[in-house]
This record gives sequence, C-alpha cells and structure tokens, in this order.
Amino acid sequence: MLSKVEEIRKSALAACAQARSVKELEQARVQFLGKKGELTQLLRSTGQLPPEERPRFGKLVNEVRDELEAAWVEREQQLFREEEERRLAAEALDITLPGRPIARGSVHPITRVIEETKAIFMHMGYEVVEGPEVEWDYYNFEALNIPPDHPARDMQDTFFITEQLLLRSQTSPVQIRVMENRQPPIRILAPGKVYRADSDITHSPMFHQIEGLVVDRGITFADLKGTLELFARRMFGAKTKIRLRPSYFPFTEPSAEVDVSCIMCGGTGCRVCKDTGWLEILGSGMVDPRVLKGVGYDPREVSGFAFGMGVERIAMLKYGVNDIRLFFENDVRFLRQFGSQGGRLC
Amino acid sequence: MLVSYKWLQDYVEIPWKPEELAERLTMAGLEVEGITPLAPDLEGVYVGLVQEVKDHPSAENLKVCSVDVGSRGSFSIICGAPNVAAGQKVPVALAGAVLPGLTIQPTEIRGVLSEGMICSQAELGISDDHAGIWVLPEDVPLGQSLVAAVGLDDVVLDVSVYANRPDCMSVIGIAREIAALTGGALRLPPLDYEELAVPVTERTSVTVEDQERCPRYTAALLEGVRIGESPLWMQLRLWAAGMRPINNVVDITNYVMLETGQPLHAFDFAKLAEGRIVVRTARPGEEMVTLDGERRQLTPDMLVICDASDPKCIAGIMGGEESEVTRETTTILLESANFSAINVRRTSRALGLSSESSSRFEKGIDPEGTLLASRRALHLLQKLAGAQIYAGHIDIAAAKRAPKVIDFDLREVERLLGVAVPREAVCRILRSLEFKLEEVSQEHVQVTVPSHRGDVELAADLVEEVVRIWGLENLPSTLPPDRTGAGGQSERMAWAAYIREVLVGAGLQEALTYSFGKPDHHQRLLRGEAAVIRLQNPISEDLSALRISLLPGLLEVVSLNASRQQTRAGLFELGAVYLGELPLVEQPAEEWRLGVVLWGQRQAAHWALPEAEYDFYDLKGLLELLLPWPELEWVKGQDPAFHPGRQVTLRYKGREVGVFGEVHPQVLRSYRIPGRVYAAELSLEQLLPFFKLVPAFQALPRFPAVDRDLAVVVEDEQPVGDLLLALRELAGELLQEVSVFDVYAGQPIPAGKKSVAFSFRFQGERTLKDEEINAIMERCVEGLRQRFGAEIR
Repeated sequence: MLSKVEEIRKSALAACAQARSVKELEQARVQFLGKKGELTQLLRSTGQLPPEERPRFGKLVNEVRDELEAAWVEREQQLFREEEERRLAAEALDITLPGRPIARGSVHPITRVIEETKAIFMHMGYEVVEGPEVEWDYYNFEALNIPPDHPARDMQDTFFITEQLLLRSQTSPVQIRVMENRQPPIRILAPGKVYRADSDITHSPMFHQIEGLVVDRGITFADLKGTLELFARRMFGAKTKIRLRPSYFPFTEPSAEVDVSCIMCGGTGCRVCKDTGWLEILGSGMVDPRVLKGVGYDPREVSGFAFGMGVERIAMLKYGVNDIRLFFENDVRFLRQFGSQGGRLC
Repeated sequence: MLVSYKWLQDYVEIPWKPEELAERLTMAGLEVEGITPLAPDLEGVYVGLVQEVKDHPSAENLKVCSVDVGSRGSFSIICGAPNVAAGQKVPVALAGAVLPGLTIQPTEIRGVLSEGMICSQAELGISDDHAGIWVLPEDVPLGQSLVAAVGLDDVVLDVSVYANRPDCMSVIGIAREIAALTGGALRLPPLDYEELAVPVTERTSVTVEDQERCPRYTAALLEGVRIGESPLWMQLRLWAAGMRPINNVVDITNYVMLETGQPLHAFDFAKLAEGRIVVRTARPGEEMVTLDGERRQLTPDMLVICDASDPKCIAGIMGGEESEVTRETTTILLESANFSAINVRRTSRALGLSSESSSRFEKGIDPEGTLLASRRALHLLQKLAGAQIYAGHIDIAAAKRAPKVIDFDLREVERLLGVAVPREAVCRILRSLEFKLEEVSQEHVQVTVPSHRGDVELAADLVEEVVRIWGLENLPSTLPPDRTGAGGQSERMAWAAYIREVLVGAGLQEALTYSFGKPDHHQRLLRGEAAVIRLQNPISEDLSALRISLLPGLLEVVSLNASRQQTRAGLFELGAVYLGELPLVEQPAEEWRLGVVLWGQRQAAHWALPEAEYDFYDLKGLLELLLPWPELEWVKGQDPAFHPGRQVTLRYKGREVGVFGEVHPQVLRSYRIPGRVYAAELSLEQLLPFFKLVPAFQALPRFPAVDRDLAVVVEDEQPVGDLLLALRELAGELLQEVSVFDVYAGQPIPAGKKSVAFSFRFQGERTLKDEEINAIMERCVEGLRQRFGAEIR
C-alpha cells in the first residue's frame, strides 16, 4: 500500500509537470485528486489495512495530498502566467497607426483676438459693452466732432443706408452712447464690427475694432501711455515696447498713433515692419473737450482717454496672416489652424 | 505731400540728414512715409555739348553726333531722338555709366561705333518723359557730372499731412515745423517787384457775387509776359513734388502753391469777355471744358469764376481750356483766392474731379494767405517771364475775422498730460509755431492763434502743440486710478463664449461672414419676398443688402469649401441679422443669432472610423446638447428652405425661436453644393433667459436602480417621440430615465411595421421590489397597446 502511495505521488507530480494548459492540469487534478481520483480512492481503501497501520497510512496519504495540491497551485499559476504572456504577445498592435481622432473645432481668429483683448482689459477693471452697427450719422460723426463736410469724413468711406442712418465706420459711437447714459468714472471696452467701402489685400468692407474709453477726474495722456504699454506687453509679449506718434483724430486732442516694436524682428527691422522696427496698431488720444461737452460733461472737471484698434490688423500681425480676405472666406483649412495651441510662442 | 529736401533748406537751417529729419517730423506729427532720391546715382553721366549732327550712313532715323564732354574729350554718339541738334547741352552717358536697367558700352550700330548715349529724362530715371533727349539749359557747366551740374543730388520726402493741417500742405509750412523743432528761424522768400504806374483797377474789375463761397478774391494783372520754359531748378522742384512742368507761368503758379500752400490760377486776360472777373454760382445748364479736356456739367451750387458771360474756371478745382495760358498769351490775370472748403469739397465730389488745388481748399486754408502768395508769384513772374505788373491788387474780402485768442491756463498742460512741462518750454514751443503770447499771470497766458492755424481753437489744442514738439517720448507711463470697481462683460457676451465653447468642443469651426450679401438671398432660400435693408453705396451688388438670416452666408461658405476640394464642413456663426421696416426710419433690430451648418463626411476619412456622412440626428443631437431645456417644444416645421419631412421648429411659449433640418435640395443646387446640408438658425435673443438658468443640484441616489428593457412593434409611420412621451407618463415617478436603444424594420418584423426597443431605469428613495416594477411595465405595455396598437415583441 505504501509503495502504491509513492507510485501515485510520482505519476501525479509527473502529470502535473507535463500539463501544457490550465485545462490539462485540471484533467490531471481530477485524475489524481478528484472525488474519484486515484489518491482519494486509495484513502478509501484504508479499511483494508490492519488497524495499527491505519494512522500512519492516513497521515502519509494526507501529506502526499498536501504536497500534490501545492504542486498543482504552483503549476496552475505558472501556466496562467504563460498563457497570459502568450495572449498578450498575440495582442500586440501596430502602434504606428494614427489614433482615433477626437473632433475639436476652432474659434475664429478674430474672436480669439477679441477675447484675448477683452480678458486683458477686464483684468484692468474695464467693462465690455456693445453698441448698434446700424448707427445714426449723429453718433458716428457729429457727436465725435465730425460735422457734415468735415474733411475727416473722407478718411472713412462710409456705407449709408439713408440720409441719417449708416453702417458705423468705427466703434467710437459706443463712447458717445456710454457717456450719454452714465456719469464718470467710466472705464469701458467696446469690440464690434465696423464697415467701410474699401476692399483689397489689407482692407475689408467689414472688419472689427476694439474701442476703449476711460473718463474720470485727472485722467492723463501718461495714463493712456501706461495702459497701452501694459496691453501691448500682455498681447505681444513682455519685451514689447510702444511708441506714441502725434496724430489727428477729430474726437481726441491731443491724439497719438501707437506703434509697437515689431513682433517679428523685435525692432531690428524686417519685411513686416518695412525695416522701421515699429508696427502701427492703434489710434488714441485724450477725449476732445467738445466731445465731453456734447454729452454734458464738464471738460474742466473731467478728462479722459480713448483708443481704438483694428482687430484684423492685430490678428494679421500676431498670426502672420497676409491677406485680410482670408478671415471672411472661411476656408475650413484656414479656420482649422486656429483650433488649438500651436505655432510660435508670443 | 512730396517735398524736396533742398527746397526746405531754402527756408530753414536743417541740422539733420534727410533720414533724421524724417524721423523728427514723424515724431512731431508729420509722418514721413518715404524718402527717395530725386534721381538715381548716374555715375558716368556728364554734361556734353552737341557740336555736329550728321545722318547715319545706313539708318534713316539715326543721327551720328559729335559730342564735346569738356576735359573728357569728344565722342561720337549715335542718337535716334528727333529733337537732337547741334549747339545743345545734353546729358551724355559714357562707357561704364549705369542707368536704371542699363549699363553703357561702346556699341556698333549698323557699322558705326557709338561711344555712349545721349539721354532722355526717362532713360535717366528722373521722369517718364521719353519724347526726346533732355536738352539742358545753356548755362550748365560743360563736362561736369550731370547730378551735380543740375542739382539732381536731392532727396524727396513723402510727408503725410493730416486733414487738420492744411498749412503743412506747403514747403514753407513744413519748414515752419522744422524751425519749431530746431529752434531756428524761418526765412521767407523774396516778394518784391516793380509796378507800373497804372493801377490794376483801371484795367479790370472783379465782382464777387457769393461771398460765403468765396471769402476772398485777390487779383493782379500783368502784361508783356514772355511765355517759355521755366528754369531748370524750378522744373526739378516741380518734378520732386510730382508735378509736370508746363511753361514758366503755369510752373510759377504751381511752384508758389507748393511753396505757400495757396493755390493760384493764371487766366489769359485776352480770353476774358469784357476783361473782367465775376465770381458766382453756375447757372442751370451751364457747362465748360476743363483743362483736362473733359466737358463738365455745372449745377447751381457750384462756384465758378467767370468773365462777363461764361464760366472760365471751376473755383478752386480746375481752370478751363478756353482761358488757359498758351504760347501766345501776353497778358495775365493772376487769381489768388480763398474758397469755402465745403463748396470745393462738394463740387469736387459731384464732378469726380480733384486736383492739387482742390485737395488744399477742401481742408480749409488761410484766407490771410492770398496776398503773400500773389506777391511771391509776381516776384517770380517779373524775374522769370518779364512781366510788367499793374499797380496794386484787387482784393475783395469778406469782413476780416478777428484773430482767435485763447485764454490758456498753463496748468492744463499737466492736467491733460500727467507731466509738468516747464513753463519756459511751453512758451518757447508756442512762439516757435508763430503763436503770439501775452503773459497775464504766472498761470495764465493770452495766446493769439496765427491765421494759418484754423485747427487750433481750445486749450487742449495748445497742449497738443506743446506735447508734439516737446516729444511724446518724454511722456511717463502711469496707470489711471481705478474708481470703477471690477470690470466684466454683458450676459450676452458671456453666453456667446459658452456657446462657442460647447460647439468648438463638439468639433465645429467658427465662421465669420459679411453682414451684407446679395439682395435675393431670401428668394434663394425659397422663402419668397422679404424686406431687406439695402446700402445706398455698396461696393458691389453682391454685398448690397443687410442680412436677415445667417444661413445664406454659411451656405456660401460651404459652397466655397466644396469648390476647393473639401469634403466636409461643420461650421457655426454667431452674429446679428438686421430686421427693420422699410422705408427705414429707425435703427433696425439687430437680432443676435446662431447659425450652424453640417455638410459632407462626419469625420475626415480614418482607418478606425466607418465612412459616414452627417445626418439629421447629428444636428439634432448637437442642438439637444446646447438646448437641454424641457420647456422648449420641438415640432415639425414648415420652412420652405428645408426638406419638408426633415425639419423642426423650436418653440418657446408659442413663439418660434429657431428652425433646423436638412436644407432643401433646390436651395443647395442654387448654391452649387453637392450632397446634403443640415442647418440650424436660432434666435439667441429669445433663448437668453434659458442660458441664465443655474444648474440645480439633485442628491445622488442611495438605493440600487432597476433596469428593464421593452421592445414593441408599431406602425412604421408612428413617431417614436409620441411613444416616449406616453411612456414617461405611464411609468410614473419611479422612472428615472427611458431611452430608445434600437429601431428596426425588416425581417422578421411584418412589412409596414417597425420594432422600437426602450431601455428603462427605475430609481426610488428605497429599494424597489420586482413586483412593483413588473406592475409598472405591464401598465406601460398595456398603455402602448391601447394608444398605439403596439405589440410586445
């Protein structure tokens, strides 16, 4: 009987080691350790032994069973690992295939510039407001110190709808609408569409402007310079310098054109800045006393500054777009380029 | 304004080279947009004397010239110009000379050697005159380099003058600015001349009938004028200014206009009926031929300069052919007048005619300037054309305007600039610009504005004068004190940003199209006639009507992309449409809308995705994402722009707030768009209240949910939405969610029917029992059977 135990043990261990799969291993387990397995049946035959041998025999069988069960567990884990390795090996993918695309749209570049500008000025406490695009001659011109037949009307080829109604040629009428309805202190930013009868590579009959206006006691030209300097640094990068050049706008006095150091060459001179090192980006000035008076403010008490910039111009400079018409053609290959961060750091 | 650097030097000492002068002027408010040399280098081009001209032995149109170039020797040069003649001083380019686009080499022409070239102005690159060789004045030194000999070593500044500074539309005006910048003195040109004993009033008269349009008319009369060429130095300066020399008299009037900014006009006195001038408005039906040969129809609001009978000149704009100064002219009436800026501007616009003169008058010039300009011209006419001048001027002027005086509080400088400019500097700058200062107190100065500075009226204008000369670069940078509180933006803008975020996140691209388009867009959408606001002066018919829908613009974008080999587009636009009653008497409503179009493939072709085109449910899903409010009604629409069976009208409280669906194929054909397009247009104005909703938190369920499925067979035409509505009602409060997970027609479902499968999730404030859910499901099945004849599958 004892030799029988050893025989079963040997052949069971051999079967365990030879099992090639979890399934084979299970079959072998049933053969030796199952309810009708060889070892189980051997144990059942204990009764045939003399009583004094029975404990020893029982102990031996149990020892062998424990040993075999441990062997099975170990073999099973080993086989599982092997099988998993084989499966993983078979599952290898072509990691060079392109990934499944996630649809991500794009914001229009003009919107991007407007939103960026809004954010900069909102951080400085500006309130962003809007005004009508179909405007009265009064708001677009007269209230801005541009009476009929003023030569400054030639600077802007205006679309008229009726004698008195027109498509605003600038966002400046929003200044008047705001001042008519509020008392200083005023600190507003007014982005929006404007229209002029002009169309070529740098002019579009519809384009966008952003107007700023600050009116309060003691507002100065130096405040204007500081404000625009801060804007230019945030918009075009910390190293950007600005330059004010005297200019003429009927509704500001003194007036200044504002240049930023060229964002392409940094000011050393290149094709974009026509070797001047500077790029003209906005017009500005101190609100003309006649304009303040016109809205019922006392120009001896309060003063203010105003500025206006062309969004397309800034977008063209910032993104390197060379034809203004691209913005309104909406070729999807153009629009797509403004969908995600990319390109050069500013 | 184009101005010669050397000419400026006549009136003011310039311590700067042209480049630095340009920079200084730009920073003082006279932007210099370009600096160009008057002539190219022209090395190797000399002054030669044509000694002999012979016919070329074998070429009919060519001459063989013997040219003396002083110490450089004598050269044989072949010339084809018709005007070459012995005795002429001419520019000669010798071997090695570099002309624009040409290097001169000795060349054999039909068997005769040519050792150089006798040049035209065009060949030298100084004008476009290539009618013949350039015949130089006799007194030009022989053998010298051409550039030095005739004064071509000059540069031309292109100065951009703002509309408020007509005084700077003149060389003296710019010189005055330079003097203010350098602190130097302005030197005015000589004005003296000899007069005849006979006063001008004995020979002619001037009547001004409309003094509002002609505040001043100054006339002089001169006889014995010898018409000829003007001197070379004058011609060069006119060239530099972009004007063409004509004859000495016309050149002098133009020269003095450039010099002083005051336009002048010379009439051939012999052509003036009764030898007198009448300034009046044109009579109905009058016309005249202007100097450019065009016949102009005049209207009664145009001011004209006439003789006793007819218009001879359109005031301030252009003279007439009839009284033009010609070679035969000997007696001249010289006009130096001031015309109303508005009238010149309107007339110039009405006639579509502008000139150097009108561009000055339009901006409003100094009425005090007429006499000075006339005197200057008379000085030159006597010197250069031998004019004999009748004594005095006829000078008809409206009441002289008192000079403007500004009570200038010097503290204004610091109040507006934010920096203290020293009092002494303020006064010095204003004086240098010819303002007269009378100091009243430490803080107050009476400032008298010179007559040529019509633009200066207020203290703020004086502050501008100070700061632009003092230098804006000296201005410090400060930030204004903020008393306004936090900034922000309107709700509309905030929601626009939100909508953009949702749609961009969903893969759409934002488009921006023109607010105006073709006037027939509405008809092209099959929507019939509509009131569109039209522009009076559109740049084209295609951009002439304000839009009343965003769809045409977006469809045009799709069309453009289709024509450029694109296969898909998912676009949206946020913008206004313009709705007004015609004729427009009030501002139209600018209704803020969202437009969406989906066209072509859902995604770009990709190995891991099935190829599929956008469909109706892509658009519906997008809108359900954006507009998730149960209060909105989604009902079958009837918009002719859309497919009759594939469109939805969105309603809120009975009002239409939007429409979407598949665009009608007839519309797509008219926009030349292949395939199908799904489009939506929503009035955001009316949806704004919803966007304001604050998300309401609901506690997460603590008890397990129970899920059930149900498939029923119904008639094919049965809208599934009705079933969903019924199920929500039948299932009661415990139903948390019911969704459609399958719709199927075909075997084994009988023809004319479809199977619809729903998935339910029940949730309660307790653990739900199977039996109660079973009861609910039975109720649902029974309800669907009764209402829709649905059978359980």
